[in-house]
Amino acid sequence: MDSHPSFAPSGTQMQVPGMLDANLRVRGRVQYAMDAKMPGMLHAKLLRSPHAHARLVSIDASRARALPGVIAVITGPDLADRDDIYPYYGPIFRDQSVLVMDKARFVGDPVAAVAAIDLDTAQAALDLIDVEWEELEPVLSLDDALAASSIVHDEPPRLGQTFADIIVRTEANSNICNHFKLRKGDIEDGFAKADHIFEDVFTSPPVQHVPMETHNCVAWWENGVLRLISATQMPFSVRAQLAEIFKVPQTRVRITVPTLGGGYGAKTYAKVEPVTAVLAQVTGRPVRLHLTREEEFVTITKHGMQIRMKTGVTRDGKIVARHSTCYFNTGAYADIGPRLIKNGGFGTGGPHKIDNVWVDSYAVYTNLAPAGAFRGYGVSQAAWAYESQMDMIADRLGWDPYEFRMKNLLNEGEPVMTGEPMYDAHFKDLLATAAERIGWDANVKAVRHGNKVRGKGLSVIIKASVTPSTSSASVKLNEDGSLQILSSAVEMGQGAETTLSVLGGEVLDLRLDQVSITHPDTDFTPYDQGTSSSRNTYSMGTAVKMAVEDIKQQLFKLASDELEVAIGDLEVFKGRVQVKGVPERSVGYGDLVRKARAGNLLATAVYASNGGLDPETGQGIGSVHWHQAAGAAEVEVDLDTGRIEVLKYHAGVYAGRIANPAQAELQTEGNIAFGLGQALYEEMIYDGGQLQNGNLGDYMIVSIEDMPKQISLDVLERHESHDIHGIGETSLPPCMPAVGNAVFRATGVRILDLPITPEKVLRGLRAIARPQAHGQEIDA
Amino acid sequence: MTDRRAQGEVTATEDGRLAIPAMLNGRQTTLVARPWHTLLETLRDQEGLYGVREGCGVGMCGACTVMLDGEPVSSCLVLAPQVAGREIRTVEGLAAPDGTLSDLQQAFIDHTAFQCSYCTSGFLITAERLAEEHPDASREEIRHYLAGNLCRCGSYVKILDAVADLLERRRAGRTAD
Ligand code: FES
Ligand code: FES
Repeated sequence: MDSHPSFAPSGTQMQVPGMLDANLRVRGRVQYAMDAKMPGMLHAKLLRSPHAHARLVSIDASRARALPGVIAVITGPDLADRDDIYPYYGPIFRDQSVLVMDKARFVGDPVAAVAAIDLDTAQAALDLIDVEWEELEPVLSLDDALAASSIVHDEPPRLGQTFADIIVRTEANSNICNHFKLRKGDIEDGFAKADHIFEDVFTSPPVQHVPMETHNCVAWWENGVLRLISATQMPFSVRAQLAEIFKVPQTRVRITVPTLGGGYGAKTYAKVEPVTAVLAQVTGRPVRLHLTREEEFVTITKHGMQIRMKTGVTRDGKIVARHSTCYFNTGAYADIGPRLIKNGGFGTGGPHKIDNVWVDSYAVYTNLAPAGAFRGYGVSQAAWAYESQMDMIADRLGWDPYEFRMKNLLNEGEPVMTGEPMYDAHFKDLLATAAERIGWDANVKAVRHGNKVRGKGLSVIIKASVTPSTSSASVKLNEDGSLQILSSAVEMGQGAETTLSVLGGEVLDLRLDQVSITHPDTDFTPYDQGTSSSRNTYSMGTAVKMAVEDIKQQLFKLASDELEVAIGDLEVFKGRVQVKGVPERSVGYGDLVRKARAGNLLATAVYASNGGLDPETGQGIGSVHWHQAAGAAEVEVDLDTGRIEVLKYHAGVYAGRIANPAQAELQTEGNIAFGLGQALYEEMIYDGGQLQNGNLGDYMIVSIEDMPKQISLDVLERHESHDIHGIGETSLPPCMPAVGNAVFRATGVRILDLPITPEKVLRGLRAIARPQAHGQEIDA
Repeated sequence: MTDRRAQGEVTATEDGRLAIPAMLNGRQTTLVARPWHTLLETLRDQEGLYGVREGCGVGMCGACTVMLDGEPVSSCLVLAPQVAGREIRTVEGLAAPDGTLSDLQQAFIDHTAFQCSYCTSGFLITAERLAEEHPDASREEIRHYLAGNLCRCGSYVKILDAVADLLERRRAGRTAD
């Protein structure tokens, strides 16, 4: 596990530490939401449905309420009786209720909540709640869902104030939750031009984020204001949702967010907050809810997916048409599924220049745990399909997968799948470096030593940043010249607070210890859409820079009077404004603030990116900029056991400008760990709607021993670029197809269904022993 | 009473809980817990040692690792009464009494060996024992030793670098003496 980063210096004068509060973190003293303790705090537990799909016939909590130490028990029907509560939530469709009101839609759907003086009592009370269920036919698979003999949501969805970028296209009496369309060029004409057409079906299973800190929050009511300390990536979304539930203005909900123990998308949108807030209201006391690991597994997952992908190529290796039909299993509730299927859907267009693309992408309801945002945001599933298929096509036609990619990757200015031109294109550089680092040789497919065989695989992906999106930041320059940043960016391990301090501080040429940043507090820190989709560095970083730039202009104005020079002749240098190149004629920021008699200088900036897609064609602006990444893997497969070891992995990602090199490396390495888990091990296994492996004994995540011994990184930076791309999750999606392609080159076994387990490889090896072509070419 | 405590005997409190004498981060303490409470819950809830964290509750993730009589254990698997008369060290006890970070903690900072840092306490405790037990461990051996601690953020490369560097520094220190 040696890493060879290739960072260029990032242009800042600051000493950039990985994390501002590193000292607290190694002392075990950094505070997570779950460490908050309130006087008189009660502990909550949830009673969950044992059935995947069942009508709630009756519920009786009287025995539980009588248990000493139980302060309150609430049930779905209790909520239905209350006029002051609107019991539904969900970011797009209000299809989830605080507690089950009419029917349970997955094993684990909460139906009652207890608040008691301690956890033991709350737990004991759950056994005393009597529930009568009438079981319904469960919808356990995509096939069940499409057959529609049973319907997960019988009524049309209750809409919230809709997202600007989402077109609601829900079908009545079906399990289709939403449908996204992309129509680029003329698909029939495209396939007519093709010399070869290939059609393959790829699947990815649901997996869980497994943040080490599970979902938790503490809620209490204080003078009519609902207060929460919550482990959420999206305080403003949660605030809006709670205000709607309690029918109060948003000013009567206040959420603070300490550092998170991991998020990866799991902690987006309201999750544990609504039910905890209701318990706090009913009891009049602070209430904590902290999910167990088992509960975490069924709270939110990555979408299971099936993609049927048909691609047409000419005999000289150009892709001329691609048709994708994508089914994303969104589980029992939509969550952000309707938006994710859009990114995953257009994502199937890939980083290739294809003139004719047709995509139908569906979010589908089933009676499994709800699926939502997950690192990669639909692109992992899409890339698993198109990057696997790239190699399959190359193999069938006898081409070098590297050359085949090079021939089709987007060049500067060529249109991406959403029709807009690709700017700042670096796919080919990234792929070339990946091939070089892994030692790609078109002529060597596999190297065999005894019963072990080695092979290499490549992949390249494209990913959108959430567009349109909005961030805002406020900054204060104090009279001692120190800078305070008020931002709602959530620190979840990605070093957001450090990065923003660097970006803000350098505008005024301050030392890092002169800059401070507050944790999100919806009463004080300005609006941010949420910390997700690798958008933080870019979107919030831009807002912070704009606000500090405003302060700088204010300083220049004051200094211009003071020093009697034109504003244009001024510059900042180490905490002072000076006449350009004349340090003797300068004045400190603190003096200027005092002179202004303002106490502090204030500025606020809003950064909003524009864009959006046409509802019928999916053409328009899909992303303010497109994230780009490549991966290369070398694997060794044991032919006797099917066991796969990833010997080497290379991750390449284009970063624009890097504000925090240590964090950029860490996030990229973290993606490798995340990606290899999904490539080789991770899968939520259900039986009859019941999760079989919802604990860390049975659900395997990557340990330090599973990491490749050799890792190389290529975090591509453009020195002159002021454009901060943010790299959060970009290097994740290439992992799975890079490994799959390497396994294929090593063994000839093509796995279409993640994860690539030893059993599947062995089955594949046996199938090859009986000669049979892999994949099929149609209509050639 | 004092005698029995000194001998590490568990006694009952007035409200029916157990009083469990133990050494905690170098200080004689009485933990108070129900018989079925884990050491993890007790350290967090009674002692406010929030550096000890639950990740799985079943002994698989190492986030809750503490030193018990010098050996790393998963505190989620230890019942509070089992520690009577024994010595516990948590991440909060790694720095010197004057607050100076240990060389291991410093190595984690120098290599930025964490992202969310939820797993960091557990890694520090395990690595501390590794350094005592196998001062000459190779990178391969370090990987093997740390395999019971999970980091979902995947900070593994930097963790390995930090621990390997620590062993190196300690070796250099020994030869210098
Ligand atoms: S919480 Fe103890 S090992 Fe995971
Ligand atoms: S740093 Fe987040 S789990 Fe290890």
